[in-house]
Amino acid sequence: MTTHNMLIAPDFSPDRFAGWHMFNTLIQKRANLNMHLNIPASHAEQEQVISAGDIQIIYANPFDAATLIREQGYRAIARPIGKSDEMVIAAAANSAISRLEDIQAGATVAMADNRDVKLIGLRLLEAVDIEASDLNWDVTETYQAAARKVIKGEAQVAFFLAEIFHSFSRLTKTQLSVLIESDLADISHVLLVKEDFPDAPIFLEAILSLHNDDDGKEALAELGMPQGFEPMSEEDAEFMIDLMQTLLD
Amino acid sequence: MGSPIPDAHKPDMPAEQITMTYHDGTSRTVYDTGIERPYPDGKLIVSRTNLDGIITHVNDAFIEISGYHVDELIGQQHYILRHPDMPKAAYKDLWSTAESGQKWHGYVKNLCKDGSHYWVYATVVPNVRRGETVGYTSVRRKPSRSKIEAAMTQYAQMKQDEEC
Ligand SMILES: Cc1cc2nc3c(=O)[nH]c(=O)nc-3n(C[C@H](O)[C@H](O)[C@H](O)COP(=O)(O)O)c2cc1C
Repeated sequence: MTTHNMLIAPDFSPDRFAGWHMFNTLIQKRANLNMHLNIPASHAEQEQVISAGDIQIIYANPFDAATLIREQGYRAIARPIGKSDEMVIAAAANSAISRLEDIQAGATVAMADNRDVKLIGLRLLEAVDIEASDLNWDVTETYQAAARKVIKGEAQVAFFLAEIFHSFSRLTKTQLSVLIESDLADISHVLLVKEDFPDAPIFLEAILSLHNDDDGKEALAELGMPQGFEPMSEEDAEFMIDLMQTLLD
Repeated sequence: MGSPIPDAHKPDMPAEQITMTYHDGTSRTVYDTGIERPYPDGKLIVSRTNLDGIITHVNDAFIEISGYHVDELIGQQHYILRHPDMPKAAYKDLWSTAESGQKWHGYVKNLCKDGSHYWVYATVVPNVRRGETVGYTSVRRKPSRSKIEAAMTQYAQMKQDEEC
């Protein structure tokens, strides 16, 4: 049997690793496909793996999806229900920064390497006249490290993927104050398949029915997608890409 | 001529009454109370139109801030939100940019159903499907006070020039 390659964008919480393996095991069994799970460690590695070719399925972040769909021959087939990509800007709870307006030019922002989070964060800061060139960037290994930087006063604010921020311990969260959380709603990760992937229909069927039984539910819960996946039409994906186009500048 | 949008309801509070005439020749009475509504934090206000500027989609943030019911928006011309303080030239620039296939950005003051208003930084992109433009999407973000003030000055000047 041929082995298909499925790639998962690296921008998820480390707690989700087990979930992706459960997901892969279930889908292989139910769609009767041989699948190899690729989880690149960084965005750069993701690009390298994709350009080397032979990736049939990608769980992509929305900004990458735009290029993958419009330029690299992938199409969207599904997305997680009720799980949009949001970000949080936070400062230390004991700092003088309690509103976005308190952020001064020259401030240092701690964040993990995630361009989507950075882009959305910068869009939110436009409203207080702060631009990328007004800020210094301290790129950390993980979001937890970014949280420590602000708590210790080594950075004035941090940008977080909202999902990861909300998964922090209560102790960490009490030491941080949220200045803003985005609510963009229409922008989410998407499941893409290569246009000529012949097994797309059975693969999609297995994905969409995951939430119908206990094993599937468990895998979805581990992935933080308790409601499962919904089908995504070509037009849904194009609409999302149009939306993102407006955020690029 | 399009189907005219009904006159606005006269608000309970003091408001300036204005007759607006739109590009398709229809006109209606609107009221301007001068009250500003705050932009919803963290959100995007989204709408889509067909090639003629008729609204085909609005998101929840759009409905909430404009004060209209979704049924009063879908199928109407997007000028339903036009504020009397906005110069014609701003929309001319929007349409010529979008029709030439480009992305347009600009500051816009929009009129709500109840005569209040809100400021946005808007981006309009053409929806290109298989090489053909089938409509337009507009996404609005929250503008800073300094940008709003600069736009107010600029638009007041542009309106004056248009009236001469
Ligand atoms: C996608 C899209 C979004 C628009 N959004 C607005 C808007 O929010 N407010 C507005 O007054 N006009 C908006 N317009 C422009 C209107 O179509 C119209 O040109 C403008 O209100 C001026 O109308 P008039 O020239 O008929 O007086 C939008 C146009 C497009 C294509």
